[in-house]
Amino acid sequence: MIKENNIKLIFLSLSLLLIILIFFFPFFWIITSSFKSPEEIIATSTTIIPKSFTLEHYNKILFNSDFFIYLKNSLIVSFSSMIISIILSVSAAYGLHKLKFYGNKFVEYSLLVTYAFPGVILLVPIYLLFAKVNLLNSYFALIVVNVLFATPFAVWMLKAFFKLIPNEIEEAAYIDGASRYIVISRIIVPLAAPGIASVAIFCFIISWTEYLFASILISGDDLKTLPVGLAGIVGQYQIDWGFLLSGAVLASLPVIILFVFIGKYFVSGLTEGAVK
Amino acid sequence: MISVKKNNIEGWFFVSPLVIWISLIILVPIYIAFELSLFNVKIIGTSGKFVGIDNYIKLFGKSKFLNASLNSFYWIIGNAICQTFFAFTIALTINYKFPGKKIMANWIILSFIIPTVVVVVIWKLMLSSSSGVINSVLIDIGLLDEATGFFSSPNKAFISLVLINSWRWSPFLALIILSGLNSINREMYDASKVDGANFVQQFLFITFPNLKSVLFVLGLVGTLLSFNIFDIIWLITKGGPSSATTTLPLLIYETAFTKFRISQAATLSIVTSFLLLLFSIIFIKSMAPKEDD
Repeated sequence: MIKENNIKLIFLSLSLLLIILIFFFPFFWIITSSFKSPEEIIATSTTIIPKSFTLEHYNKILFNSDFFIYLKNSLIVSFSSMIISIILSVSAAYGLHKLKFYGNKFVEYSLLVTYAFPGVILLVPIYLLFAKVNLLNSYFALIVVNVLFATPFAVWMLKAFFKLIPNEIEEAAYIDGASRYIVISRIIVPLAAPGIASVAIFCFIISWTEYLFASILISGDDLKTLPVGLAGIVGQYQIDWGFLLSGAVLASLPVIILFVFIGKYFVSGLTEGAVK
Repeated sequence: MISVKKNNIEGWFFVSPLVIWISLIILVPIYIAFELSLFNVKIIGTSGKFVGIDNYIKLFGKSKFLNASLNSFYWIIGNAICQTFFAFTIALTINYKFPGKKIMANWIILSFIIPTVVVVVIWKLMLSSSSGVINSVLIDIGLLDEATGFFSSPNKAFISLVLINSWRWSPFLALIILSGLNSINREMYDASKVDGANFVQQFLFITFPNLKSVLFVLGLVGTLLSFNIFDIIWLITKGGPSSATTTLPLLIYETAFTKFRISQAATLSIVTSFLLLLFSIIFIKSMAPKEDD
């Protein structure tokens, strides 16, 4: 008995160490590096504790670049995509979960299969389609695509949350004469709120991190999103590492702040929601 | 009781906004791509002449297409293996009680919530051949004699990219696996312990079978998602060195936006969609778990 526990303890410590090294250390590294002097960032001998401290990279990115324009664009696109995705997927998930209508299973599987298409496969035709209907270079072009990426998985997660709501609560409301609309807005949505919050974060993240379509569908500098702006620096022949690192940290900051406040709903929603 | 007919109308009323949105954004472009694949249009916006199925016939003789298909195949397999390993390690570790467990469970997903471009920045710096921390650590502990370029040879570049992509996705997959683990009845473990089962047997005969439906969705969506990865590869290696990391999505992008052969790119898109659809149907037909409700 004791022997098996010891083995478990060794395994646990080893995998914890591995996880911290692989999944957390890189963040420590780029955050501290973004405060290092340009010489130290590209120095060949590396020390874990930084030797220099400077705010020059942040100064440059905040006051001497288009950062705030890109930030504004990313925020507008991500929030709009999130809200539209949530409305569409709550409605669809409710329909799929509660109403055993003709074609129910087909719709459910088809939604998952849509992941067969997003990506580069759709890029060329979507570009041509949007050119025809004059949607290129607009926030809406990106929102349309982001909703497509976010909703199939959102529906699947929401269905699992709706399953956790006891049927009796809903039945009782109908007996009291409530309409479907009242039941959804007063019972289903409030009871599934933590689940909906976690799905909302998921939709926000999908839009916040999207690069490919944003790089092709938007050509005007005033409408570019943060990932596209950052990729512009990555692509330069002589990379200004300090500038790039501070940009990377700042581009991640909004999702991290969001996560500080509602991240626990996301994680507990994902892990305790018994997604089946 | 609500009648079946009323269920039909109401059901479609709830799902139709999303179904219409998705169908429009997938089916119309697929139709456009199909039309394009029958012509020989080069630069976007110009017109070309009708060539029938010529583009399709030519495609299968091209070594670039075969090379990219093979790369995509290795890409899916490599990612599946790495991500399964990382995701299960994370999920099974977090499933234990230890100090700091909550914080770790909340923040392990950091690599998934940051933009892909930031993932690229992180690993370009860490793996840099001139000043990367990985190189200097490997030299310090004696595993390397001199700094190596992680993206300089075909094999190294491919493996590095698989690892970077797995780094991004595994924590998210781990949380979904964790949700499956949480839904397993604890009593089954206690009962098996009484019967003398060890921890490997518990994993094989209790944990794994109970994760079936979670693993089904992960297997399907995960394969499709990793197939479609574009930005990580493009921003780090641009498909090189010598096309070693050019998967099908990169080939489509290159054909359309750097070689300006739109019709060829459209043909590639149609063939690729068809292959993925075929895979999905076979996967769903053979692996879909039986409904429990």
